[in-house]
Amino acid sequence: MDRAKEKHRKPLRLATSVLFAGVAIFAGGCGGRDTSGTQHPRLVYWPAANPREVELARKLVAEWNRLHPDVPVDMQPVPESQSTEEVLLTAIAGRTTPDVCSNIWPGAVAQFARAKGLVPLESFADFDSLVRARLPHGLIESYRQVDGHVYEIPWKINPVLLEYNVTMFREAGYERPPATYQEFLEAGKRITKDRDGDGVIDQWLMLVDFRVKWWLRFFDFYAFYLAASRGGLLVEDRQVLFENRAAVEVFRFFQQGFALGVFPRSTFQVDAFLLGKVASHTTGPWNIEHVERYKPPGFEYDYAPIPVPDSSCLPPVTYGDPKNIAIFTTTRWPKQAWEFVKFLVSREADLLLLELCSQLPVRKDLMRDSLYAGYFMSHPKMIAFAEAAGRTQGPGSVPELKEIFDAISHEFESCCFYAHKTPEQAVHAAAERAREILR
Amino acid sequence: MRGLRKRNPRGQARAASWMILPYALHFLVFLAYPLAFTFVLVFHRWDVFTPMEWVGLANIARLVRDEWFLRAIWNTLVFVVIHIPLQLILALFFALLLNEKIRGRTFFRATYFLPVVVSGVVVSFVWLQIYSYESGLLNQLLALLGLPKLPWLTSRALAMPSIAIMATWKNVGLYIVLFLAGLQSIPSYLYEVADLDGASGWQKFRWITFPMLNPTVVLVIVLSTIGGFSLFIEPYMMTDGGPENSTLSAVLYIYRQAFDFYRMGYAATLGFAFALMVFAVVLIQRRVSEGEAA
Repeated sequence: MDRAKEKHRKPLRLATSVLFAGVAIFAGGCGGRDTSGTQHPRLVYWPAANPREVELARKLVAEWNRLHPDVPVDMQPVPESQSTEEVLLTAIAGRTTPDVCSNIWPGAVAQFARAKGLVPLESFADFDSLVRARLPHGLIESYRQVDGHVYEIPWKINPVLLEYNVTMFREAGYERPPATYQEFLEAGKRITKDRDGDGVIDQWLMLVDFRVKWWLRFFDFYAFYLAASRGGLLVEDRQVLFENRAAVEVFRFFQQGFALGVFPRSTFQVDAFLLGKVASHTTGPWNIEHVERYKPPGFEYDYAPIPVPDSSCLPPVTYGDPKNIAIFTTTRWPKQAWEFVKFLVSREADLLLLELCSQLPVRKDLMRDSLYAGYFMSHPKMIAFAEAAGRTQGPGSVPELKEIFDAISHEFESCCFYAHKTPEQAVHAAAERAREILR
Repeated sequence: MRGLRKRNPRGQARAASWMILPYALHFLVFLAYPLAFTFVLVFHRWDVFTPMEWVGLANIARLVRDEWFLRAIWNTLVFVVIHIPLQLILALFFALLLNEKIRGRTFFRATYFLPVVVSGVVVSFVWLQIYSYESGLLNQLLALLGLPKLPWLTSRALAMPSIAIMATWKNVGLYIVLFLAGLQSIPSYLYEVADLDGASGWQKFRWITFPMLNPTVVLVIVLSTIGGFSLFIEPYMMTDGGPENSTLSAVLYIYRQAFDFYRMGYAATLGFAFALMVFAVVLIQRRVSEGEAA
């Protein structure tokens, strides 16, 4: 090899070396974890990204850091995305999860657990005593996964109820919304009308968001199904359980509502409830603050249980829209993370949750504990939700939950909105697809 | 160059190797590897977070039974059948207009091209307002004319044509540019000769413009076929595949399987099947076009 050739090759070799060195550094940097060997615990906590919960988290973290300067916590709201579940699954895959997150939707826990992303909480010595002190008897069992572990501590709950316009129901001759389907639809015939006399209906009984987004079914089909079936499960032991009379009756109720024209066939770009276009809709306690802030003068509203089939007589169960707290397996400080979790679910933290976020902590003594009495005195609208909290159910724990709700949602649209299928056919079709999904 | 090659052919080959290295790396990392990996996925169940599980031909068996995928393919074909002729005719029509010496020609050319560079998400959002049943621009126009409102996006019959119209509006500017380029490459003496022979405007279009534009027409058809089969943003943003799956496109369905339900293996199977179908359609289209040209 002559000198001239060698001279030409040097820049190439140099460039190649730089390239490979860069790749090596980049690959090393992608690890994302602190490898400095520091022995000082430091936790990362992700709360939900809405302003109220960020404010709550900021206060709680400041208090924790004041009390525990040896275990500082860094708070960072869950990064923006379509859903927290999407962010967390991506973080689990990339091993970039926080130590603690308080926006865990139980419907996704089975998936997180299967990915080995969560720490089993019963491994902590005082887990049982915390559960006994805080939760209603037996509740924790509904959060136990098929592998026998519990990966989440129930934190807050938002029971779905019927929010109604008192004046509109009163004008139709009702003090509160009727409790059964037929009576409720009957009330709808009186409420639904053309108010301004232009020949077009502009006031309806109940708003139903009929779009096929799977999660919208928690606020119509699922809340009504739980009420009709007294808390019946959709799936258990990978067997489809919702092909039953309760589901058929729920589908029929919505189909009749659209057929009678008492549910509007439109999704409004404005708040139809506050504008008096609809007399009711389903929602959770988070909506109280919104209504209080934006309601027109003289606007009267209240809350009622979800209507049930005509044969039903017991107080209905409803969807709880729970959000829980979990510790991720990427944590280097599980004991400290558990202590922080206990701090997040303490009595005082729960009072802050009520005051700042208008959301209910999952606490068996919520209505009896004197610490919260003052809050409920000054927020009487929250009492209906607190009373309903004991009769709620979560979404269930099957990894394919989203897909199953998607299948139900499509049949719901086809049967209830378009009336292209009978309720029996639609429920059967949804169940068949769910079986295929679970196969 | 010839002298250089003679002097050092091995050195030249080595230099050429270095020059193709960037593309070769790009090809391997971003095309060959993902393609091979996707093929492997066809025979596995994988949710990204847990280890892959070998399932043999189960994904293919599932595909054969999957009515929703067949529905999605049918919907995509319906879209393509509406979208391509509409786009071809409109693009050609506007290109012919914009090829004339009219006042404000540059402004019009820019205006027609504008939707092409606007994000599909933004365009979908704007059209969502236009198609709104209660307060949309179109229904307000119908009301002014004393006509009943139309459920543009909530009727099974209207939803896909509505999306096709919107997609045509968004993309037509690109094809206008292609046709303009084609029109400007037609030698002017052909038209001069036709003028001398007393040809009418239609005769000039039929016997000169259109035949000379044939390569552009083929290009536009192939590009809009591929674009049409990739239908995703519009139904994703505007209808979520509804009503009753009537706007569920094949790509949207594959996306849902992969990124909503984390069925990567099944999504890979659907992707392969769909890619083969598009490949076959484009191949047939080319054969037909070439046959006609010959």
